[in-house]
Amino acid sequence: MKQVKANLKQTVLFVVLLGALTATPGTAVAHHGFADYDMTRHETIVGKVRAFQWTNPHTWLWLDVPNDKGGFTLYAFEGMSPNYLGRRGWSRTSLQPGDKITVNFFPFKDPAKKGGTLASATKDNGEILNNFVPPGAK
Amino acid sequence: MAEQPRKHFGRFIVVALASALFVSVTSAQTWLDFKRPAPTAADWAALAKLPDFTGVWEEPLGGGATSLVIPPGAAKPTAQKTASTSKFPTFPMRQPLPLTPDWAAKVQLLRAHAGEDTTAANCLPPGMPEIMGQPYPYEFLLTPGQVTIVGEAYMIVRHIYTDGRPLPEDPDPTFFGTSVGHWEGNTLVAESIGFSPQTTIAPDVPHSDKMKIIERFSLTDPDTMSIETTVIDPVALTHPYVTTRILKRHPNWTIDEYICEQNNRNSVTSDGKAEVDTTPPPPSGPDPNSK
Repeated sequence: MKQVKANLKQTVLFVVLLGALTATPGTAVAHHGFADYDMTRHETIVGKVRAFQWTNPHTWLWLDVPNDKGGFTLYAFEGMSPNYLGRRGWSRTSLQPGDKITVNFFPFKDPAKKGGTLASATKDNGEILNNFVPPGAK
Repeated sequence: MAEQPRKHFGRFIVVALASALFVSVTSAQTWLDFKRPAPTAADWAALAKLPDFTGVWEEPLGGGATSLVIPPGAAKPTAQKTASTSKFPTFPMRQPLPLTPDWAAKVQLLRAHAGEDTTAANCLPPGMPEIMGQPYPYEFLLTPGQVTIVGEAYMIVRHIYTDGRPLPEDPDPTFFGTSVGHWEGNTLVAESIGFSPQTTIAPDVPHSDKMKIIERFSLTDPDTMSIETTVIDPVALTHPYVTTRILKRHPNWTIDEYICEQNNRNSVTSDGKAEVDTTPPPPSGPDPNSK
């Protein structure tokens, strides 16, 4: 229940920030729009980090998510840049291969693609890493 | 009655002569032949009397609507949805752009055929004024005769010459335009012209070759900067469009590297289709999740 509430709060914050990033004349979309993602859907998934790229213009996270065949399905998540996240509590070592995390995200529109745009990643120790937050906040 | 035209003509001659004299005295040098004298110790010392713009600044909430202030006398902000069919997400707009009827029709047509994304997805930076609204910080450098703005997003640089040179008559169109500035008290007033047709006023809203942008930079308190941006485009807009951005100083920040081509997995094709490449990197060691 607490988790659901936190997710909802993050979603609201995300939408507000997304509006700020895209809506205003003279305000450009940050690097790219959201054409590939279904921003009306919000999903949560648990898995283990396969890889994390701390690169511009976006960070990328790959997650091995257990499937019903006893194996893993690979999910990919796009995050904000290291410049942006580095000022908001993240570092290049925030997510390590093998870390078990819970990911909130907005899924790809293409059903063949697993993953989406990151909203937040919650680590096993409870640390929440948000993808869209005011500077200095976490 | 018959005397009137001659009288006017005489006045015209006087005004024309006076103007010619004024121009020859004040603008002897053009943009191309302007030579800035080497700065003196006094020029460097004079910088200390200017407001302290130095350092790294960013809009709270990463830029955009929340920090926009509606100028006095402007239409009250409305919480309407964007009336466009833009492929961009629609969110409340503070103020619709005052498009001329011809331009509104043009924008409508562009939006009907708009791609799923802009060329920024291919790492092409946005131009003015959009480049000043990025969710990334800006650094201001003051040197004699010049203010330099470094934008972190896309690693861009703007040069605002405050050494008295005039704007060029007909500069080549560029993404950020050609800028000169002067100080009005504690306010830096920058005037920019000459913008590439590849740049837009807002997504899907082009400008004409008549666009001019006036920016007024000032400190509202020691760590708060106001940038009032006036977009003047008599072809596209019925009246100048004014927005104000509020930036906060971050004394503990530095401008970081931003190489957009480093790992850009987004793209937009020439026919406007947005794509994303999710191919994972090759394994760098033993499988972390093998059991």
